[in-house]
Amino acid sequence: MTAPERLRIAGGAVYDPANGVDGVVRDVCIEAGRIVAALPKDAPRLDASGMVVMPGGVDIHAHIAGSSVNHARRLLPEERAADPARRPVLADPGEPARSGTGGTVPTTFTTGYRYAGLGYTTVMEAAIAPLAARHAHAELDDTPLVDAGFFVLLGNDDYLLRQIAQGEAQRARDYAAWLLGAAGAYAVKIVNPGGIACWKAGSRNVAGIDDPVGSSAVTPRKILEALADASNALKLPHPAHIHCNNLGQAGNASTTLDTMRALSGRRAHFTHLQFHSYGGEPGGGWKSAARDVIEYVNGHAEVSVDVGQVMFGPATTLTADAPVEYLLHARTGRKWVNVDVELETGCGIVPYEYKEKAAVAALQWAVGLELFLLARDPWQVVLSTDHPNGGSFLAYPELVRLLMDRAYRDERLKRVNHKLLAGSALLDGLTREYSLSEIAIVTRAGPARLLGLRHKGHLGVGADADVTIYTRAENAAAMFAAPRYVLKGGTVVVSDSQLRRAPAGRRLHVRPEYDAAVTRDVKRYFEEFACVSFENYPVGPLADPPVGGT
Amino acid sequence: MNNVTCLGCGCACDDITVVVQGGTITEAGNACALGRTWFGDGKVPAEVRSNGRAVALEQAIGDAAKLLGAARRPLVYLAPDITSETQRAAVAIADRLGAVLDTPTSELADGILATQRRGRAGATLGEIRQRGDLVVFWGVDPALRYPRYTSRYAVEPVGVQAPAGRASRRVVAVDIGSCRGPENADERVSLAPTEELDALGAMRAAVGGRTTGDATWSRVEDLARRMAQGRYAVIVHDAEPGDLAPDADRAEALVALAQALNGPSRCALSSLRGGGNRSGADLVLTWQTGFPMAIDLAPGYPCYRPHQGAAVWLARREIDAALVVGSAARLPARVAQGLAAVAAVVIGPHASAAPFTPAIAVDTGVAGIHESGTAFRMDDVPLPLRAALPATASAMTVVRTLGERLAAR
Repeated sequence: MTAPERLRIAGGAVYDPANGVDGVVRDVCIEAGRIVAALPKDAPRLDASGMVVMPGGVDIHAHIAGSSVNHARRLLPEERAADPARRPVLADPGEPARSGTGGTVPTTFTTGYRYAGLGYTTVMEAAIAPLAARHAHAELDDTPLVDAGFFVLLGNDDYLLRQIAQGEAQRARDYAAWLLGAAGAYAVKIVNPGGIACWKAGSRNVAGIDDPVGSSAVTPRKILEALADASNALKLPHPAHIHCNNLGQAGNASTTLDTMRALSGRRAHFTHLQFHSYGGEPGGGWKSAARDVIEYVNGHAEVSVDVGQVMFGPATTLTADAPVEYLLHARTGRKWVNVDVELETGCGIVPYEYKEKAAVAALQWAVGLELFLLARDPWQVVLSTDHPNGGSFLAYPELVRLLMDRAYRDERLKRVNHKLLAGSALLDGLTREYSLSEIAIVTRAGPARLLGLRHKGHLGVGADADVTIYTRAENAAAMFAAPRYVLKGGTVVVSDSQLRRAPAGRRLHVRPEYDAAVTRDVKRYFEEFACVSFENYPVGPLADPPVGGT
Repeated sequence: MNNVTCLGCGCACDDITVVVQGGTITEAGNACALGRTWFGDGKVPAEVRSNGRAVALEQAIGDAAKLLGAARRPLVYLAPDITSETQRAAVAIADRLGAVLDTPTSELADGILATQRRGRAGATLGEIRQRGDLVVFWGVDPALRYPRYTSRYAVEPVGVQAPAGRASRRVVAVDIGSCRGPENADERVSLAPTEELDALGAMRAAVGGRTTGDATWSRVEDLARRMAQGRYAVIVHDAEPGDLAPDADRAEALVALAQALNGPSRCALSSLRGGGNRSGADLVLTWQTGFPMAIDLAPGYPCYRPHQGAAVWLARREIDAALVVGSAARLPARVAQGLAAVAAVVIGPHASAAPFTPAIAVDTGVAGIHESGTAFRMDDVPLPLRAALPATASAMTVVRTLGERLAAR
């Protein structure tokens, strides 16, 4: 069944902040999967009067597909069993509809269905080892309804670190470009730069951005500079996507600020900032340092962040930052997966639960909200839970309510453990409430712009016809949890809050240019150390053209 | 053709040079004996049979759709030697049918369940090569069933932290009864099968700085202490059923020991897995259903039945029709026996020569010889498969067509 060629979404209040439209009642016209300026009067109509019309949601950072995510699924059969997901009943009984299981790390088809059910139509998988890129693509092929890409892990890559050690900045850049294309990736991801390499080599971790990684010629600072510079020089649509050192440690805000200052003046995205905004000292004295961190962001337009909000309830911590997961396992005694990935990165997984009566979890919850509420420019700040690390993407509607509804937020604040909240701006009484327009910025317009996805996150002429239509409700969580209609590329996929169609999404990837000389050197390196043939490493051509057409 | 991936065992060596002359494979360069046997000459039967008669492919697919579509309690079984693309298409059929779904991985359910209870400390094979300095082979010599494991991964090649290759590492063979470690190990420890679990317990205690005080275990305690003091220890064991009798407690103890060693040091447990893209089946089942094996889809969603599985369902006579995708010749014996009593559709290499008589048999090529796609190494690393020979029938195409036929019913 194909999408209707034309559709007029009539009479809704349109929130399209990228085009300066703030709740104006107007029609949105769609033709052949794109937004167009006008349609003939007799074009099919979808009556949206009284409803809220926004671009489809864009998730800038989630863990939804690939090797690590699949390890997490396999680790947690009890969570799967507790959340069965039946096959959706689609409009066309011949269209493939798949059952699955949910929990914090749902199966692929269920992931696509649930994202679309929330009105999200674009998702970036945040951490893929290039060695397992082929696996990630296969899972994304089985994740319908969302256009998706992934970030490729480079901050602990052995070949890259060798180039940095030798001062070969140009070759590092060419290597990053080659690797992005070989993996079919969208952007460069840096996780705990140098720290994972130390974990694998036996020195456990780094503690600051000037610690040596193997040799003093390589430090987290140098890795950050090399990859931020490479991303910017290659004019990638999204800058280096950075998970700082010392995630989750008391006192780590100083490391985060050191990292931001190290990259001052460079475009860079700092991810799940909440997990990196704690005061105190390593090992104790937990307190919020959200104010210090967000003040820096507020003063530096070249910086963007996503929050990585903690939501109370079950989560699965899953990250390339393997040394952190070891510490969490050692502290909690929960089951634990570690996979060291040859020459590239690591992987650690520990299931977790954030309890509102637990002091550190309550602090984390508060820090995230502080970052949101103290951020001056919503275009720099993206809504995320670092799914499934801070909580499931299914918690986004609840998070929207916390941002939009001060009375509700204050009510929730009363219930949490206050032991570590002294000094938190939240406790001081933050009055800010996000407007619908600001929510539209932090959930679609902003992330699309930061990702350089020019056809996403807005409803201007030429944009992809990814549209979400909500029924207004007093309770913002209820409103955002069940959009009335969702359109993906012009196809009505959710109608009356029921999933009715499940088309495949597109793959978002880049193919930057590079000096081919680097491949000769990489091939030599493969012959010496790798145990996959150089020729078998690239994923090969993808069905969709690269973003930006390079 | 160069850089061909061999699925003769779970090592999935991807450096094979396949020479084809006159439509036959005349050489599989770099392959071990097991790999050369797996490639063979590339000749496979190309029969299509339904109820004892040779039929056109179209008719066989139609008959298969009829048989499976009418089944009350169908089983879909993923046998070895198919691509992950084919595995995905077969799981889609199981989902549509509300079938029970299984793979040979059920034969090692104890090990899977241990990792689901505890997690695991692991590494990809290449990382073991880069880092491993003390490699302990637990009742297994890979030379027998995983011939190039030692030459490609651990222990011979040079690595980033093993500049002299084999000489940079210490190799320990733990012999358990007649199941011996590598002959060229630097040291050996011999255990009677009845001693094995106590030895593992003593080792775990030693890692935690305790001792049993029993001289019987002083050698293994000493080994454990050295593992804890080294830089990167590796424990290699065979996860597939074999001479060493499967033991749920061993599976759990090995996982626990490897995890515990990551306190004082680093350690990875390397679980040897068989060929034919078995690991790929675990992964595909997991990403599509949430569980790696033994799944009941009859309720309309996946339910995990790890203590049952195909052999149990077949033995109970509750299965009235089966779809086997893959090499029927490589089925676990008890599954093959059970299938003999069931109306079965077999789509895969040598289907017409299955060890039981299928109602419908469609011979296809072998993934990695006649069919391109994706397969996974024993450590879950994905690799491309390059077909050196054309297939008379592609398992992927046949399974997809069958799925479409079932969807149209």
